[in-house]
Amino acid sequence: MRINSLMVICLMTLSNGSADTDVNAKVFEIRFENHRFAPQTLTVAANTPLEIRVVNLSRERIEFESFKLNREKVVEPGATVTVKLPALRAGAYDFFDDFHPDVPEGAIIAK
Amino acid sequence: MLRPLNAASLGCLALLGAATALPCAAQVDPWEFEVYPYSTTPRGMAEFETDNAVVVDGHPAGGEGTSSGTVRSQGMLYDSYEITYGLTDRIEAAVYLNMAQPEGSGLQWAGDNLRLRGRLFDQETLPVDVGWYLELEWHKVPQFDDATRELEFRPILEKDIGRLSIMANPKFEKVLAGAGHDDGVEFGYAAGVHYRWARSLSPGVEFYGGSGLIDRLDPAAQQSHYVFPVVWGELPRGLEYNFGVGYGLTRNSDHFIVKFNLELERFVGAMLKASPDRGWIF
Repeated sequence: MRINSLMVICLMTLSNGSADTDVNAKVFEIRFENHRFAPQTLTVAANTPLEIRVVNLSRERIEFESFKLNREKVVEPGATVTVKLPALRAGAYDFFDDFHPDVPEGAIIAK
Repeated sequence: MLRPLNAASLGCLALLGAATALPCAAQVDPWEFEVYPYSTTPRGMAEFETDNAVVVDGHPAGGEGTSSGTVRSQGMLYDSYEITYGLTDRIEAAVYLNMAQPEGSGLQWAGDNLRLRGRLFDQETLPVDVGWYLELEWHKVPQFDDATRELEFRPILEKDIGRLSIMANPKFEKVLAGAGHDDGVEFGYAAGVHYRWARSLSPGVEFYGGSGLIDRLDPAAQQSHYVFPVVWGELPRGLEYNFGVGYGLTRNSDHFIVKFNLELERFVGAMLKASPDRGWIF
């Protein structure tokens, strides 16, 4: 699992998928459009509770899910949902669209 | 580093532990060896589930072990089919068909359940995530139970600590019709600790038990308590499984049970509008 997570981080960094966000913010936004999440890699501060607003800008219904974070929320087209997260230990946490396996998986990096 | 647990969290965890450690009553429900988490089926989603348990080493007479009726538990196959629908983002409704196959006999109807389950607030709003569960049960008597109708209520408690989920479902049951109608409330539990290791395969341990009426507990040897080491995860095409082997911990418990649950979620269409993002009940 750790090797997989590191590979995801490396691949996303290489593909310029990393987020241009304020790491110290407490509210973050992940958008879904063109059948992919943006940013695909979201860097957040470890040890700080945070919220992620998932904005579905597409015409598809998605299910924002993270296995490691135990989160699962359906997001209707045009809708926004808020996902609350506890203070995260430093590391990589997956997120994906459970309705569309072909959507590239993203990662939340806490550091 | 994980956020340190505050006093409220520790208090709730202590309560949760105490609830599951109490000598508990109510029959263990052999049709549903499942611990409910805080999360509910999302709005508009339908979940198709089958829970199965085989008593490999049980009791030779009815009314003992997982049997609450006249049919003995030894060799029994418990088989339930459940459809759950997400009414809102916080409330789901379910119907169950419970079947049973006693050893040497055919599969037969054993009962039905109707259930509502919900979660309160959003995750991380309270120190421990809290949900609720209300179920109406019909049983085929006298073969599979001595009570015709029962009402069951469970608070659902969950605390996630990193990749660990600690869940507890204390159970309160009241007989509405049949034997035990004039008795008080029975108490039982389902509880579990699941570790999220990999989506396809993760370990856990689950506990189920019951020991009679709250105000008149059965002697320890007549109570039923089980521990199930389990593996759970997701197979291709979103098929989720939970497989476990259960060991009875008291004389009245069946000695060895194997369970295998399968479930599949699909979006079928929402009937109600989306729940408010920061609501707490609907």
